[in-house]
Amino acid sequence: MRLSVTARIALLSVTLALVSNLVLVGFVWTRTDAAVIGTVRRETIEQSDAMRAIYRVGGLPAVVEAIGHARAAGDTSLLLAVLDGRGYRIAGYAPPRIDVPLTPSLFLVADIDASAATNDIGYSLMPIGRHWLLTGRRLDLVEAERHAMEGALAVAVLLSLVLGVAAGLVLARYVGVRLNRIAAVIEAAGDGDLSRRVPVAPARRDAFDRLANQLNLMLGKVERLMVELRVVTDSLAHDLRSPLARLRTKTEQAVLIADPAAREGALGGLLVETDLVMRMLTMLIEISRSESVSRDRFIMVEPAELVEEIAELYEPVVEEAGLDFFVAIDASAPPMLLHRELLSQAISNLIDNALKHAAGGGVLTLRLVVHAQDIAIQVEDRGAGIAEADRAQALKRFGRLDAARTKPGAGLGMALIEAVARLHNGRFELADNVPGLIARIVLPV
Amino acid sequence: MSRKILIVEDDSSTAAYLAKGLSEAGYAVESARDGRDGLFLASEGIFDLIIADRMLPGLDGLSMVSAIRGAGIATPVLVLSALAAVDDRVDGLRAGADDYLCKPFSFAELSARIEALVRRSDRAATEPTKTRLSVGDLEIDLLARAVTRAGRSIPLGAREFNLLEFLARHAGQVVTRTMMLEKIWNYHFDPGSNVVDVHIGRLRRKLEDGFASPILHTVRGAGYRLAADPT
Repeated sequence: MRLSVTARIALLSVTLALVSNLVLVGFVWTRTDAAVIGTVRRETIEQSDAMRAIYRVGGLPAVVEAIGHARAAGDTSLLLAVLDGRGYRIAGYAPPRIDVPLTPSLFLVADIDASAATNDIGYSLMPIGRHWLLTGRRLDLVEAERHAMEGALAVAVLLSLVLGVAAGLVLARYVGVRLNRIAAVIEAAGDGDLSRRVPVAPARRDAFDRLANQLNLMLGKVERLMVELRVVTDSLAHDLRSPLARLRTKTEQAVLIADPAAREGALGGLLVETDLVMRMLTMLIEISRSESVSRDRFIMVEPAELVEEIAELYEPVVEEAGLDFFVAIDASAPPMLLHRELLSQAISNLIDNALKHAAGGGVLTLRLVVHAQDIAIQVEDRGAGIAEADRAQALKRFGRLDAARTKPGAGLGMALIEAVARLHNGRFELADNVPGLIARIVLPV
Repeated sequence: MSRKILIVEDDSSTAAYLAKGLSEAGYAVESARDGRDGLFLASEGIFDLIIADRMLPGLDGLSMVSAIRGAGIATPVLVLSALAAVDDRVDGLRAGADDYLCKPFSFAELSARIEALVRRSDRAATEPTKTRLSVGDLEIDLLARAVTRAGRSIPLGAREFNLLEFLARHAGQVVTRTMMLEKIWNYHFDPGSNVVDVHIGRLRRKLEDGFASPILHTVRGAGYRLAADPT
């Protein structure tokens, strides 16, 4: 039989309450019984000792007289008597004849008169001269007390059972409510709604909250990845449309051109557009690859040398674009394990971006800065810069800023730079060059 | 005698396209459909060049290249593959390929690379190490790293000299932008902007300014060619 978790928790709680109560009740019951018998035994022996002391001083008549005074009014449970050698009562309070063997015994519990109507008696039997001294107490009252206690204990057990059920239900409901909140969010996520979160009380930090927090974090990450994926797909489709549309238009035009030389020129333009699309796709592959490049692709490289090589490649390009190219390299950078090709491509993208967005802005600086913990390779321009609010958007894959949407260029450049920085356990950051932009790859040493 | 090229390619339309283009360019072409056949044919050692795809049935392209090299056959191999990431290219070259070109490719790029590979093995066979190169009236002293044209000395920077040396070693052939990026700068990515064109432009100004005839020609849609005659 399968039970719901709630029912199982309730059942467990009830069972535990019952078991603990039964153990407690059993303990109280046995201890009370033992204590009552112990009191009777002590009183009986004391009385017996006292009577024998009287016998030794005053003989049988003194004992009989003492017995006459010993029993308080209304006390019917006390037994105190002098018996003859066959067990018949001579004087005192006791059944007319007792049925147990007449041997000296300090304390025994037995039904001494063999009649069905009476209960157990705790008694002491001691010889005095030719007679026997019987002291004891009927246990009727004890029995009655015991019955009363048993009744009370039964009520307690019953009550604990009820309380246990109630506690179990409350507990099960509490657990159920908190689990259901988490389960509802998971079910919603399963159905595709990733926006829901489990409410978490900030002050309370119990296991449910930890679970909820972890779940919320995980959902946040999944949601971010999903959004990113959708943005990539949308942007890819969007960004591929423009060059493909241009390609199509140019093809249509080229078909109509009669002059062979002009047609050849138009066809050359088609190749340029095709290469643009191919370049976008290659870069996309590099980006997704760079998320999982194995470390054996890395080689020991002097960062200064690597930056110098790129600077040498780009120097005429920057100058041709009408900018002054300033290269500042701190040669003290230690050799590092780097992916030479990808890092070079990232730096070349930095320069390309600066060229595209800051053309005519005076001076472009390529700088290698060495700190104690890391090195920074940065390109500084004097262009329009990027407003602080737009910087996060600029770093997103395909996240071209609206101002740049009309310019050619796939907007993948920044995303590749970031991926390469992440591959080297570093980061890519944008800063203000007042005026202009500093785009910086920071790599840990 | 025409040069023989072995094409190892499982995609029949690509193979047909290659075979047609290369036949028109004057090469004798043979095709194999998978790595095993390719290895079998290549081991005859009669080819001047092998063009191999990477993802082949039976034996993959790079294993085939390794096996060919292992058998002591030095025929130049050009790997032609859709695996276009930088690391894929490096893998290809490490496996023993002489050149690596990504699909989709322009035929001009392919034929420039084929010619470079074929001529290279010729040169290695016939010419000892040269200390001077000359193209028309251009003289290049590789030891002194000095360049003169029509007797006039032309001062060049170190990288400009390397660029000119590369062009001169392939004098008369088309050299593409990516070939120069790979061989001179050792970069296997596409920098996007017209980096190589700018370098060539500078070199061209130094080589041609003040001289009557052009010597560094642009080949549309393909690259550049260093030659005395314009065609």
